[in-house]
Amino acid sequence: MALLPQNVSFSRQILPILALIGIVIAAFYIFSDLPDRSTSEPEQQPPKATGALADSARVAGTGLVEPASEIIDIGSALSGLVTDLRVQPGDRVEKGQPLFLVDSRAARARLTEANAAIAEARAAINEARTAQSTASQQLALFRSIDDPAAVSRSEVIRAEGEAAAAKSRLNVARARLSAAQASASSANTEIGRLTVRAPISGEILAVNIRPGEFVATQGGGGGLPFIQMGETNPLHVRIDIDENEAVRLQMGAEATVSPRGAAELQVKAKFVRAEPQVVPKRQLTNSAAERVDVRVLQVIYALPESDDFRVGQQVDAFIPAVDNGPRAPVQSTEVEEQE
Amino acid sequence: MLWIAIRMLTGDAQKFYGLLFGIAFSTLLITQQLTIFVNLIERGASGVYNAPEAEVWVMDPVSRTTDVNYAMPSTALDEVRSVPGVEWAVPHLRAVASVRTGTGDLEGVAIIGVDDATLIGMPENMVAETKEVLSQPDAVVIDDGGVFNLFENGEDPIGQRLELNDQRAVIRGVADSIPSFTSQVVLYTKYSQALNYVPGTRNRLTFVLAGVTEGETAAGVADRIEEQTGLKAETREEFAQAGVDFIVQNTGIPTNFGITVVLGFVVGVAIVGLTFSLFIRDNIKQFGALKAIGVTNSKIVGMVSAQAALVGAVGYALGVIGTVTFIWAFSGNPFFKGFYIPWQIPLISLAAVVVILAITGWIALRSVLNTEPASVFR
Amino acid sequence: MNAESAICARGIIRDFQAGQSTIRVLHGIDTDIRSGEMTYVVGESGSGKTTLISIMCGILWPTEGEVQVFGTDIYSLSDTELVNFRLNNIGFIFQQYNLIPSIDAAANAAVPLIAKGMAIEPARQKAIELLEKLNIGDQANKLPNQLSGGQQQRVAIARALVHEPRLVVCDEPTAALDASSGRRVMDLLREVAVAPDRACIIVTHDNRIFDLADRILVLEDGRVTHDGTDMPDDH
Repeated sequence: MALLPQNVSFSRQILPILALIGIVIAAFYIFSDLPDRSTSEPEQQPPKATGALADSARVAGTGLVEPASEIIDIGSALSGLVTDLRVQPGDRVEKGQPLFLVDSRAARARLTEANAAIAEARAAINEARTAQSTASQQLALFRSIDDPAAVSRSEVIRAEGEAAAAKSRLNVARARLSAAQASASSANTEIGRLTVRAPISGEILAVNIRPGEFVATQGGGGGLPFIQMGETNPLHVRIDIDENEAVRLQMGAEATVSPRGAAELQVKAKFVRAEPQVVPKRQLTNSAAERVDVRVLQVIYALPESDDFRVGQQVDAFIPAVDNGPRAPVQSTEVEEQE
Repeated sequence: MLWIAIRMLTGDAQKFYGLLFGIAFSTLLITQQLTIFVNLIERGASGVYNAPEAEVWVMDPVSRTTDVNYAMPSTALDEVRSVPGVEWAVPHLRAVASVRTGTGDLEGVAIIGVDDATLIGMPENMVAETKEVLSQPDAVVIDDGGVFNLFENGEDPIGQRLELNDQRAVIRGVADSIPSFTSQVVLYTKYSQALNYVPGTRNRLTFVLAGVTEGETAAGVADRIEEQTGLKAETREEFAQAGVDFIVQNTGIPTNFGITVVLGFVVGVAIVGLTFSLFIRDNIKQFGALKAIGVTNSKIVGMVSAQAALVGAVGYALGVIGTVTFIWAFSGNPFFKGFYIPWQIPLISLAAVVVILAITGWIALRSVLNTEPASVFR
Repeated sequence: MNAESAICARGIIRDFQAGQSTIRVLHGIDTDIRSGEMTYVVGESGSGKTTLISIMCGILWPTEGEVQVFGTDIYSLSDTELVNFRLNNIGFIFQQYNLIPSIDAAANAAVPLIAKGMAIEPARQKAIELLEKLNIGDQANKLPNQLSGGQQQRVAIARALVHEPRLVVCDEPTAALDASSGRRVMDLLREVAVAPDRACIIVTHDNRIFDLADRILVLEDGRVTHDGTDMPDDH
């Protein structure tokens, strides 16, 4: 070990010191390199039950926002081309307000026709009245002549006949007038039916027709309803509760609802009703060809006034549950208590 | 006397370095192989560790690991949310799909659908871009190991188009994740998007990830979830362990590494034992002289122990340094990504070194202790 | 036994097992070694002199008999007590020196002190003083394999004397040396090892140095055949 100063031994001093330094560095590396296996807080808030619900029994569900009236798919009674569109999405409409007009030219032509027939019938009535008046005056003249020789018997009979004929012509003309008036009324009704009106007051949610499009009584192109509307004040939310959880649901309690992606926006929704029928779950999965064997109870809640919710939006909801302890395993003999 | 003992040991450089080599080699072999073994089987839990927010994993009772799973009805999410103690719960989809790359190659990938709103289930860090890129249409985030597998020629993965189940997918980001055991390419996307990428089956929701309210333990909440929903709920640790156990039970890896570790031990015993015995034999006359002069057996034991301790300490340190250097040097290699040395492993190899030295030291000592001091007069 | 006896051996019998048979090496030896004298133990190879001396200095158990060293019955001591007794009272000079190759001359000479628990530096210091007395003070920092045979022997002598033992046992000190060096060593030994309160036993069969003895014990086939100040004529 000529390289080393005297009295310093490589194997006895330098090597152990190097080993010590090395092991310290190694230990430092090992401990600093240990993977972080701790859990981290979510960066965005996921939906969660808060307040009293956080620690107590509860039922969670997902739901869709809908109008209080549910969504009304406006249809058309008659088919035809759309000639005029009177509303656009977001409009508030009053009950009976026209929404769109379907081509009414054919009906209007029939109306004109009927009106002409009315005029014609009226003229015929006038003509018949004139004839009747002429005939009755002649008959009265003949009857005022006492001298049987002055007027022949046949003359009188003819005059009587003319008078009767004129009367019946009048009746015919009157009947024709009625028929023409009925025809005009029918045309008017049809014209009215070609104007589609709002069945209730509410908000226009979607308009899927444009002027010039053909509307059929069988529904519009692509299966879309022509116009969707509903009463959006208040909004309702239709919450799906898994049938397994449904028995625990505390009917009538307020639900805590938050929109998707904004879990911190929580509102209290008032219970409205539960649908009497348990239906197969079909919403929320975003897949058209969804096949599920899960059935859900749909419960409707009224949302308070808020700008955070829109029709069709998905929400997460928490509802208090009837606290009957942990659910016992299902046994065939057991009958679950109904509240 | 220990001063003399140490000098006796280092005086014979050849044997001293032979002993050091034996111990260092054993330590290196045991530490390094155990490290690789532990890291390799921990790859079975990478799926769990890659979702750092989840404290409880809820799954169908037949699901075993993140990759061996069976989907649940979508309402399972609501059932989990209904359990007290669950702070939050989000859907998590894991499935495999085939992807067609831009060059037309077919590659099996794991699709991971994370919660649309919160992105819970994504790895904590990103290599490129941010997690929010998933809000772009058809966006997927690839894991960094996947970049290596899918783009071997070093292309920039960002913006690359893939075809998944006849749908377009565009890589918008690269996640910093721990590779899976099979190093399969992983694509992260939103849950709703993942449903489109994975061929339709009846149920798709493979996992529900849940958080635990403050004051509750994950294990307690997991038990409650199991009780209330009939699903299987495991804490993060349990589920990670399940992934590891699955690898252990279904591969020959533990046997192979076990054999290597035993070999390391045997080689250590052989080299160290032989060298130490030779060293003692060379010095047997000196030891005999010391015994005659009046050094007690216990002091002799102390001397040999000091020699063994020096060799053991230095050799062990060299071995551990070797392992650390190895892991450090290969930390850039995708295969070794995330490899670390669990602190228990150096302790295990330390115990092995102690055992090796105890065995060999005892064998060597026996000859010293059996030496008649009278033999020095012959 | 009398007062000046350093070693008082009585009825020493020693058997060795050789396979199935037992070989009796010592056949009942009674002898005294006195302080202040240089006692030679002389005999042919196989006469039992090494065995006798081993027994007398407490490193080999006799089959029968008792040995008192400075009044202590050494074979009634426990193992550890015996080892410590040796350490405190006996100095050894081995034929092959048995120096530790990896420590220097001073440290080798200081081994008994170190074994007694003295710190390294004072022990070395004391050893160096002794080495100077032995005229190899300038070699104190050299390793044994850097020394000549004579120098190594002086180191071995220093090691035997450094802790001032009351009994010095010396095994064939002149075997590897020519006549003049042998005499020099023996002179040296007489000079440093012989003291009024110290006994010195020298095992040898080197007849060139018999005249330096104060007393000679001759062993033949495990028996003492001569005990006197001079060598018998037949040797």
